[in-house]
Amino acid sequence: MRKGRGFAVYCAGLFSFLYLPLAVMFVFSFNDARRNVVWRGFTLKWYKSLFQNAEMMDAMLTSLELALAAAAIAAVIGMLASYAMVKHKAFRGRGAYDSLLNVPLMMPEVALGVGILTFLVRAGYELDFTALAFSHALICLPYTVAAVRARLISLQESSLEDAAMDLGATEWQAFVKVTLPLAMPAIISGALLSFTVSFQDFVTSFFVAGIGIVTMPIKIYSMIKFGVTPEINALSVCLLLATFLLIGLNAAFAVRPDEASRH
Amino acid sequence: MAEPISRRSFLKAAILAPLIPSLLAACKRADDQKVVNFFNWSNYIGKDTLPEFTKRTGVEVRYDLFADEDEMFTKLRAGARGYDLIVVGDYHIPRFRSLNLIEPIPAESLKNLGNLSPRFRRPGYDPEETTVPYLWGTTGIAYNKRKIKKAPTSWWDLWDPQYKDRVSMLDNVRDCISVAMQLLKIPQTTRDPEDFKKIRELLVKQKPLVKQYSSASYLNSLVAGEIDLAMTWSGDLFQTARENPDLDYVIPKEGTYMWVDCLAMMRGARHRADTLRLIDYLLEPSVAAGIANSVRYATPNQAAQPEVDLVLRKDPRVYPTPALMKQLQLHHVLDSEQSELWSQTWADVKVA
Amino acid sequence: MNRALSWLLSGRRPLASHLLLAPASLWLICFLVIPAAGLIVTSFAKNGPYGVVIWEFGFQNYARAFDPKYLPVLFRTLGFAGATTALCLILGYPLAYFLTFYAGRWRNALLVGLMVPFWSSCLVAYYSWMIVLGKEGLINATLMRLGVLSEPIGFLYTPFAILLGLVYFYLPFTVLPLYASLDKVPRSVIEAAYDLGAGRWTAFWKVTLPLSLPGVVAGCVLTFIPCLGDFLTVEILGGPRYYLLGNLISNQFMMAQDWPFGSALTALLLAGLVGGLWLYQRWEKA
Repeated sequence: MRKGRGFAVYCAGLFSFLYLPLAVMFVFSFNDARRNVVWRGFTLKWYKSLFQNAEMMDAMLTSLELALAAAAIAAVIGMLASYAMVKHKAFRGRGAYDSLLNVPLMMPEVALGVGILTFLVRAGYELDFTALAFSHALICLPYTVAAVRARLISLQESSLEDAAMDLGATEWQAFVKVTLPLAMPAIISGALLSFTVSFQDFVTSFFVAGIGIVTMPIKIYSMIKFGVTPEINALSVCLLLATFLLIGLNAAFAVRPDEASRH
Repeated sequence: MAEPISRRSFLKAAILAPLIPSLLAACKRADDQKVVNFFNWSNYIGKDTLPEFTKRTGVEVRYDLFADEDEMFTKLRAGARGYDLIVVGDYHIPRFRSLNLIEPIPAESLKNLGNLSPRFRRPGYDPEETTVPYLWGTTGIAYNKRKIKKAPTSWWDLWDPQYKDRVSMLDNVRDCISVAMQLLKIPQTTRDPEDFKKIRELLVKQKPLVKQYSSASYLNSLVAGEIDLAMTWSGDLFQTARENPDLDYVIPKEGTYMWVDCLAMMRGARHRADTLRLIDYLLEPSVAAGIANSVRYATPNQAAQPEVDLVLRKDPRVYPTPALMKQLQLHHVLDSEQSELWSQTWADVKVA
Repeated sequence: MNRALSWLLSGRRPLASHLLLAPASLWLICFLVIPAAGLIVTSFAKNGPYGVVIWEFGFQNYARAFDPKYLPVLFRTLGFAGATTALCLILGYPLAYFLTFYAGRWRNALLVGLMVPFWSSCLVAYYSWMIVLGKEGLINATLMRLGVLSEPIGFLYTPFAILLGLVYFYLPFTVLPLYASLDKVPRSVIEAAYDLGAGRWTAFWKVTLPLSLPGVVAGCVLTFIPCLGDFLTVEILGGPRYYLLGNLISNQFMMAQDWPFGSALTALLLAGLVGGLWLYQRWEKA
């Protein structure tokens, strides 16, 4: 196979397109000017004022709590669901579950948001933190299911669980001592992915968040609408750093040596 | 046998884990006794107004913002138990009343109600005084003096083809439709579908010139040079002009409407006593003057006038001369049928 | 306890499977199925004064949805979604190809790198584009400095800006399924094609591309359908002239206070989703 130099150049170009706005954001977060595009000097004051901005910190905390809750719920539910889908022999309705689990991925979020909003309002529930956390869990579900499922399928091929059972373990023991530890990286990976999805979710939160619940993206949206301060650049950079942190965590905890050797 | 047990408890913990943030959050947001939940427009209060209140009374104020009154209305309708005090435009008060969203503010409990100018007592939109006027202003035209040499004088300037792609209009049913009505000399009391058809056509005719419909971000666009001419609310423009002296405000010669934003208490407010204290506080002369000086809108508080910045007091754009005041009218109070016609027309304009 | 759990996990009875799937079902039913059903029911209701919903049923909302005045919105939306999907496909396929065949060790890093902009919140990304594209933004400022331009170009609030934003956001949605599918193409088949004398282009066109078709379809569906409902891009980067279906729906719920009509529009959007899902399922089985 040729080295594919042309392709590499093309990809470099595409990636520059993807990262250009983020790079601009990064550079101008240190710009000592109220409005963005002229460089006036290096400063850290936007970061300082960001951390002193109570509303911002509040929104950040809310998003964090939401993401943690959503990721945890989605991880547990997703794991149970994938287990049933992969390990159990075919049962009636499995195809339906399969399709249904994919729907949140493909659904236009506006439909999901207004749907949940109407449902909750009609049913008389308050649009509180729990409602939003549960809605996020729904959106994250396909990701955890996909992550764990892939892993369980590849584990299936190595029949380790069967081996354990041949040696006298019950399904439960085999699950706890063999499957769970082996699947853990995938579960964590799915959870981390869910965390990011929930953290940056805007559309669903926009409709379902009741009054008083301000998530990070909602705060940024209102800043763009009301009046932007350069703090928003600093904020975006922090979000980017958080993303990289999560990726690092994923790499540290979730990569398995045998994945690399699959190809 | 220690292993399986720890795994089991791990699973239990994993299932309980999501509940913990929920519980924490619930505790945090638990009903604090000494707090008022206040929902207001962005950029609509002085920087120190609320901290001063807290310092004086020990009551915290949870202050939330909106930039879009329709969005605010939806959120409130969708089940907002939570807010105690909100700011509502005069022409929206009937809507809130008929849906039973607000409660009358008992006038007896307010010491400072008398500070208001008589013009704002028992107004047409709220004869029973269930709400308290907060700030008032006008809607006019903002323009960039550097880019537009000849100052605009009429609403028709916003329809001028030479400003194609440099115009912005407020994203607000009331403001846009009333301008169209003024230009077409149609009274606000109309119910005639033909009238609304003409209004729609006029606004649609303007669409190719309009770069954005926006109620807040157009100010950034003005400053950034994306647009040069905008329909604006008076105080918002003056706030922006503080740092950008290129911007100017004009009340068109056809005249314009004045509107009054009022404080209203939500039905089921959980902190009534403290809310009333906050309203009373906002009616104090020095506080009202402080707010007016900061947000550059006009205060309906007569007792506050001496403490309002001289520059603002003398500025006819902020506090119009008596002659001009006579020309300013309040919006007509629409009933639900008319309201529907207005909303429908506006929706049609946006879709066209 | 051990026995009960073991029975659950063994899956010898369908009941066990259903029980394990119960939490997921609960979630899907509560937050997906019931809301969707609720939307459909509301779509037949009437809108009362000040947005109160009146439960008198009829087809008026659907009739209204097909009113000629809304057709431009529909066509515009289909146009933008289609253009976005096509652009993402054209731009994304070479990237996926590179990742599969040429990237080697860098593959995972690049995949992650692809996702980072997507993960750091679309709002942040759109706002950054505003800085880059604005009349006093990076591009205009640079070009004017260099003397190439005397007047800034208005990039923002044009279809160009909207497409840019849409492609920026949806590119990973296209690339990932493409990559997954290309990855599954057995190298042996491609090698066989070369052995039989095919050139690179022929081998690609006649072997690789057809074999990657499931991924192409998946990518297109995963991009097109959500894109139909997008309203944020137009709100931030677009302008009043490019009102899309997502904006229309969002407005019914947020501004116009017409939940029945909004529900009808959403129901139509969901119909599109169902169609897309059906397509997706068919190709996944292939």
